[in-house]
Amino acid sequence: MQHFWDQPLSWGTAAIFAAGAVGVLAFVLFFVTYAIYFERKVIGWMQYRKGPNRTGPLGLLQSVADVAKLLLKEDTIPKKADKGLFVLAPVLAFVPSFAVLAMIPYSMNLQFADLNVGFLYYIALSGITTIAIVVGGWASNNKYALLGGMRSAAQMISYEVPLVISVVGCVMLSGSLNLREIVESQAGYFWQWNFIPQIIGFAVFLVAAVSELNRTPFDLPEAESELVAGYHVEYSGFRFAFFMLTEYVYVYAIAALTTLLFLGGWNAPAPQLDFIPGILWFFVKFAFIVFSLFWIRATFPRLRVDQLMGLAWKVLLPLAILNIFLTAIGIELMR
Amino acid sequence: MFNFNIEFTGEFVAFFLLAVCAIVGAVLAINFTKVVHMALSLAFTFISLAGLYVLLGAEFVAFVQVLLYVGAITILMIFGIMMTKHDGEGQEPARPLLETLAAIGCLCLFGILFYGIRSAEFPAEAASLPADNTLEIGKLLFTQYAIPFELVSVLLTVAFIGAVALAKREEDPQ
Repeated sequence: MQHFWDQPLSWGTAAIFAAGAVGVLAFVLFFVTYAIYFERKVIGWMQYRKGPNRTGPLGLLQSVADVAKLLLKEDTIPKKADKGLFVLAPVLAFVPSFAVLAMIPYSMNLQFADLNVGFLYYIALSGITTIAIVVGGWASNNKYALLGGMRSAAQMISYEVPLVISVVGCVMLSGSLNLREIVESQAGYFWQWNFIPQIIGFAVFLVAAVSELNRTPFDLPEAESELVAGYHVEYSGFRFAFFMLTEYVYVYAIAALTTLLFLGGWNAPAPQLDFIPGILWFFVKFAFIVFSLFWIRATFPRLRVDQLMGLAWKVLLPLAILNIFLTAIGIELMR
Repeated sequence: MFNFNIEFTGEFVAFFLLAVCAIVGAVLAINFTKVVHMALSLAFTFISLAGLYVLLGAEFVAFVQVLLYVGAITILMIFGIMMTKHDGEGQEPARPLLETLAAIGCLCLFGILFYGIRSAEFPAEAASLPADNTLEIGKLLFTQYAIPFELVSVLLTVAFIGAVALAKREEDPQ
């Protein structure tokens, strides 16, 4: 993609960019469809169930059928809802989640936008989704939805802080916020990937990322037992589908970010294995992270509300700051 | 003063669209009657401003703007609004005299700003922007502007401690 950046914008390159965006959208939709299938299968396997196995061979068409059901469902808007915001919220949630995918470098030569501030871009845009969740919860005019939206916003704001600070160590090691340069600085054997020198940062990042995604054990915004379903309790049909889609697109984005920041991106575990294309390595690591997210979901109980904020501010934040100090000392000593 | 010679480049079109978005957001923020709608249209203005910063090659400022103003401040405002009741929302009584005066004031302000901008001399760029301007900002912050930077962080710490103290006092009614 890179050689298009330096050319003047013509209708031809604009068409190529648009086609690229549509291609990413198609790929992401495919990913989401089969991530949901994979998640249900993995969780079923871990809980001695079979998971979906009726629709299509091995249940492969289950997610397709689910989406079709959602799209064909009657679309309801509560009578006392704020109609404009109720309609706007799913869109406002989805658009940033898709926009963050622009900065992900899949391999050396496959990236849509090379930003100097790649990681910051992700954090900034994911904040807009938080607004959409709060607004969706408020516009539904339902107390469960409002509570869910509030919890979600409080959680996402709190966990954003350790998430950002845990990455500072990586940025210090590579001397750049640019994701491509961060990956390049991890070239070599697998122990040069950031997850070993930055083991504290990696741990904090993983916990904060799971929490940012609102997934178990941090899925308090949609705790069924207390909140019915959380911020999207009044949503049905394709609007609900949009919220679910947003959630899984963020799974995609976080898995890609973890791969890039801590697992060496498209670098092979050893230089001898470089003959395998980088994009394959990227997707192997990516799939591993996605699997780990489902694994965590299948095996952990949910946190209590009062423990949630304590974990972010009293454990993760000091650890992330400690990580910065240790990294600075390490860099000084190595020099 | 009024001879605008505008080249219709992609940059101009993008600037025009973003500027219109920013103004529309600001105007809507004043005209909406529900406070949540106002907060959202403010967020819209902030995002458009971030777009303008990107256009000027200041990606770092742009995304920090989105992160802080849209991600944090708007959400805090919405939080505050949702926690409080707003039954008394409605049409305010019209005050024609005040509104006329405000309109005249606005026009004067616009005239002054317009005159100021049009008559200002903009020196040609001394040096082109470095490619990685985030890196340059970081370097400047920790060398040339280290003391102002530290002072700002002290100020923020004071504000932070003050906020904690205020919140604590409200918590336990003696």
